[in-house]
Amino acid sequence: MTMSQQMLRVSSGTPMRGAAWVVLPLVVVAAAAVPWFATFAVQRLLVEALTLFTVALAWNLLAGYGGLVAVGLHVFVGVGAYALFTLSNQLHLNPWLLLPAAGLFAAFFALISAWPMFRLSGAYFAVGTWVLAEMMRILTLNTPWLGAGAGMPLEAMSGFDRWTRNAGVYWAAVTVGFGALIVARAILRGPLGLALMSVRDSEPAALACGVPVARAKIALWIVGAVMSGLAGAVAYMNTLQVTPDASFSLNWTAAAIFIAVLGGIGTLEGPIVGTIIYFVLREVFAGYGAWYFIGIGLLAIMAMVAAPGGAWSLVPERWRLDPLRVRRRMPEGETPASTVDTEAATLTRSSRRPPSANCRS
Amino acid sequence: MQIFAETLLNGLMLGALYALFGLGLSLSLGVMGMINIAHGDLIVVGAYLTGVAMGLFGIDAIAALSLVIPAMFVIGWLMQQLLLNRVVGRGPLAPLLLTFGLSIVLQNLLQEIFTADTRSLQAGDLAQLGVNISGVSIGVLPLLSMLVSIALLGATHWLIGHTHFGRQARAVSDDPDTARLVGVNDRRFFALVTGFIFATIGIAAVLYAVRTPFSPTAGPERLLYSFESVVLGGLGNIWGTLVGGLVIGVAQLFGAKISSGLGPFFGHLVFLVVLLARPRGLFGRAVP
Repeated sequence: MTMSQQMLRVSSGTPMRGAAWVVLPLVVVAAAAVPWFATFAVQRLLVEALTLFTVALAWNLLAGYGGLVAVGLHVFVGVGAYALFTLSNQLHLNPWLLLPAAGLFAAFFALISAWPMFRLSGAYFAVGTWVLAEMMRILTLNTPWLGAGAGMPLEAMSGFDRWTRNAGVYWAAVTVGFGALIVARAILRGPLGLALMSVRDSEPAALACGVPVARAKIALWIVGAVMSGLAGAVAYMNTLQVTPDASFSLNWTAAAIFIAVLGGIGTLEGPIVGTIIYFVLREVFAGYGAWYFIGIGLLAIMAMVAAPGGAWSLVPERWRLDPLRVRRRMPEGETPASTVDTEAATLTRSSRRPPSANCRS
Repeated sequence: MQIFAETLLNGLMLGALYALFGLGLSLSLGVMGMINIAHGDLIVVGAYLTGVAMGLFGIDAIAALSLVIPAMFVIGWLMQQLLLNRVVGRGPLAPLLLTFGLSIVLQNLLQEIFTADTRSLQAGDLAQLGVNISGVSIGVLPLLSMLVSIALLGATHWLIGHTHFGRQARAVSDDPDTARLVGVNDRRFFALVTGFIFATIGIAAVLYAVRTPFSPTAGPERLLYSFESVVLGGLGNIWGTLVGGLVIGVAQLFGAKISSGLGPFFGHLVFLVVLLARPRGLFGRAVP
């Protein structure tokens, strides 16, 4: 792996880097200070945006980089939320301390579900995960111990005053949202990211080059599950009540897909751009009820036909900064100094070098 | 024993309908390599169309077929020509996401036009008829719908195996590029196939509408049952889809006997168990 990393370096050392060290702490401080000057309503909206962003990021990681199109990703939202509520209510513990446990439970669930799900691939995997989510929904709906159809409240929350509760959930959402972005960035810059992108571009070629395809996909599946599970746990801490029909709802995945499609599948910036578009559209048009959803659906259809790369791809190449620096560059001297996409890099590389050189790892 | 026999028979009759749901999905997967997420919603659209046709012309459900089938064929043909042909062949992701958007549009359009209320259609005197065989009562309507399903699956099987249409379908399915080289106009052919698929959806929709109440959001569940029938039976095997559908139908009704809310759960469970035991489905040749 070391050799290929040298050959396809992640861009670094740009003048942007210095700016990032100034901007980043400012963003973090500003984000953390929100509860002192924003209303509860704004905080709750931000929690919704951050958790949905996290699920969209996870969906985009799975579909855009791992080729794992999971229409049933919402299963982990529900599993994470139910894990947190059940643990907290049964053990009478602070829900914030139990968040890692909820993530762990989602990871465990992902590991087990990978056993049947990974026997399917492509479109079959997509709908297969939906079957899994539907199973979990019906199961919780019929389990009195989990509150059945009415769901259950988060009892420990009544022990906190309103300000602490809202601010605490908001900070948890900030941690999960930003944390997911940092983890996704680290993954894409590391060996797993390189393996995944090679799988995305050509699975047979990646296999032939000795990329551990199955292991990389399962690892990504678990990462996506933990992100979605934590997002679900925080989202329902926000509403204080979890129900099967809401938490195991396709609406979660539908919104995530919409965000990823509009923002740009297979880019790390896509979910950020997409979440902003999604929430602006929702705040402006949600009053139109069913027509709003019809409009959203049509927009997604048009995006798939006219701009499959999403909004991010509409930004002209030369203006497209690489703010998260996950794109891999050609080694010096082989291409002009500009950064290139992985796909382009792989193409040029394979046309210039003998096939064997591609497989050094 | 009587209850067992009745549950089994009802499960088989329900399963035959699921197999008919699955027929269209199996064709679009087999021929075009795409999965239509809006498949279930289109069944519901067909059910509403049947209701509209019955209301407008004062005809019964069987007569409504003569309007719903051509209407669905035209909708399918247009949809493939105008929309789906733009994304077919671009890998599984693009058609999947496009039809996902379509599913959301259809559900909300139905809700806007027909409200979110559950509807049911009257099949007339036929619905009341039943035969009694040594204490086991069987509805005539479900029995008829089962026979129609099996006949349609058989007809499609013959169509694929013995006609020019079928040869083209198999050629495009095996190798779209070579099929194009030898003169198959794949875009026009895909429009024809989708028209045919939608026509089968129309028939399935009428049979579905007269036996079950439906609402605008009933689509996704139909899609899952169709999908399970296809994968369970094995890809590219129409009789396999029939067996897959029957297994799901029987599992659901026996599951509902164990606990009334868990019917579909047991259908899903059987699907997962078979998937683990036989990843290629019961009669499959290729890995899905």
